[in-house]
Amino acid sequence: MMLTREQISDGLKRARYVTNERVETAIFLALALEKPLLIEGPAGAGKTEVAKVIAEILHTELIRLQCYEGLDEARALYEWNYQKQLLRMQAGEQQGLRWEELSEHIFSRDYLLERPLLKAITAPSRVVLLIDEIDKADEEFEAFLLELLSDFQITVSELGTLKAHERPAVILTSNRARELSEALRRRCLHLFIDFPGAEQERKIIELKVPELDAKLAAEAARFVSAIRKLGLRKPPSIAETLDWAHALVRLGVRELDTDAVRTALGVLLKHEDDRAKVESKASALAPRTR
Amino acid sequence: MARLRDQLVRFIAALRAAGVRISVAESIDAMNAVAAVGLERARMHEALAAALIKDEADRATFDESFNRFFAAPRANRGEHPEQRGEQVSAGAGRDRPGEEPFALPRDDALANPRDEKSLSLASEAKPAKKAAAARRQDTEKGKDAEESKDGQRHSDRMRGRQEHRAADTPEESPTPGIDATRVARIRAIERMPFDKFSDLDYDEARDALAPLIRRFRIRLGRRLRLARTGRIDFRRTIRAALQRGGALIDLNFRARRPRHVDLVILADISGSVRYAAQLMLELMAGARGCFRRVSSFVYVDHLAEADFEDGHLVMTPALDLYARSDFGRVLGELWERRTGLLTRGTIVVIMGDGRNNRLPARADLVREIVRACRAVVWLNPEDPARWGTGDSAIKQYAREVNAIVPSRNLRELQVALAAIA
Repeated sequence: MMLTREQISDGLKRARYVTNERVETAIFLALALEKPLLIEGPAGAGKTEVAKVIAEILHTELIRLQCYEGLDEARALYEWNYQKQLLRMQAGEQQGLRWEELSEHIFSRDYLLERPLLKAITAPSRVVLLIDEIDKADEEFEAFLLELLSDFQITVSELGTLKAHERPAVILTSNRARELSEALRRRCLHLFIDFPGAEQERKIIELKVPELDAKLAAEAARFVSAIRKLGLRKPPSIAETLDWAHALVRLGVRELDTDAVRTALGVLLKHEDDRAKVESKASALAPRTR
Repeated sequence: MARLRDQLVRFIAALRAAGVRISVAESIDAMNAVAAVGLERARMHEALAAALIKDEADRATFDESFNRFFAAPRANRGEHPEQRGEQVSAGAGRDRPGEEPFALPRDDALANPRDEKSLSLASEAKPAKKAAAARRQDTEKGKDAEESKDGQRHSDRMRGRQEHRAADTPEESPTPGIDATRVARIRAIERMPFDKFSDLDYDEARDALAPLIRRFRIRLGRRLRLARTGRIDFRRTIRAALQRGGALIDLNFRARRPRHVDLVILADISGSVRYAAQLMLELMAGARGCFRRVSSFVYVDHLAEADFEDGHLVMTPALDLYARSDFGRVLGELWERRTGLLTRGTIVVIMGDGRNNRLPARADLVREIVRACRAVVWLNPEDPARWGTGDSAIKQYAREVNAIVPSRNLRELQVALAAIA
């Protein structure tokens, strides 16, 4: 199914993902050119969300591979189901099967445990494959991904090369915990997602927390976008902004003054020194002071 | 279309010339991307960025080049006889139907959007030069330009510009994000030679150091963790085997113990190489866990123990930073303290330029130290071309040590240290 640029735009709106030209174009290209899309940006700017939204637009399954240090092929690609193989061998012995017959059985697809990558490749229809936080995986794993990303095929030594029927839409995300290799970057389209500006964040808040008063939403968005510029240890993510907006609703805050800012700051800031920093400047930052 | 292709090829060449790395495959992607999204300017802009720019730090370069190569389409510009002449001679594919032509590079397209603010300030300050300046300028407010004779044309153009900008800048996206500028700064500071450092640069480099330390530690640590040999971890192996009916298919090994490496670091903190030495000490302090013992010393004309507390260098006893460096004497002091410090498992890392103010070099002591230790490595923050010139005794030391590595910037320093460890 080939989507037009406008369909992507509509789809994103329907999936309630507030975005801009840059993001839309990158998503469209990734789908149109069937290329993997590498998304970078600060934590909590909505990178992973993109993959979920694409799956929603394409009405398909999202297969997620969470990367971590020490992730290896057995966890990412496939593993033989040893228990099942052993049982089969014992059963085979009793039937008096020869090794040749037996090995044909136990090294077939029935005995393969599919891990996310293999699952995405062998899926009968187009799926979305999210390789999350690729920067956390080891460099060896990154190199191993190259075959998958350029040819959409995977080699299983006992079975041969498996090629994708339908190329999955691949999304990789990275937080820049380490520099990714040039080879990987070359194979992907690139998209950088930064924190939204105040205006865009207001739209997000209004969309996701409709209970919050519109004026308050605008003030909250401006406040968050101001404290992100303070150089905090961990600037608040969009999800945290939304939590905060929910908190403001629950607390029945009518006006965003200094006190209101102070009461619910723990939702927004997760480090004590960040909190101290913002509190010391709360009176200057809060839209309304008493 | 061939024209557009040529233009794209030239555009890519210009990006490469500006230092952006673009492979052939990526340039093909770029062509496909443009074919997929069409020629609407803002979309084409983002499409090319997605295909060509793989590092947000290059984004500013890209935006600047894009504005230079693909000026706003004529439909959005004011039409004027003079201007039309210009454009026909510029020869954009005007008569091809269905294709929205681009003008070739123009003066006004060269104006960097970042400069706009300063330009508009300038135009307010010098109204007399306004008419002349108007052709090159791209100011956002045109109210005073309307008074002048070519004011009408100017404001027309302005309107077109504004329209295109409105289309071009959906809300607030194009300014590179906080994160991107930080990354760009880190990259720049990593490549900056130490001898060009100022105090401000040093502070910035310290900021950049945090991710470097993390990366460095991971790199050192991983080698220890990924042990494929050594002592078998019996418990873990049996547990894994239980899952597989008791067959010992995967052997699990105990993590290798940290290597029996003691590190002795000797860093010159006299004026000439101060920044390099401090950054190196801080980098190594972060990776302390990867070695059995790390002893750091700093010297100018004496030896002093060094430590990092909250990012500040603490030395005991305090050194006179403006004394004349005397590495010969320092070597003597180190040699006196050798018991328990310099053993067969010790690697000595010396950071300095070997400029000894023509005092005795004592290269013989270096030879003794090499004999007593596992290795002596010298890191020199000076350009190799200048080694051995003037009062530099580095050539004498170079003959004795196991390895001498230039480490002129943070990047080289990192590579050198990782190789040692």
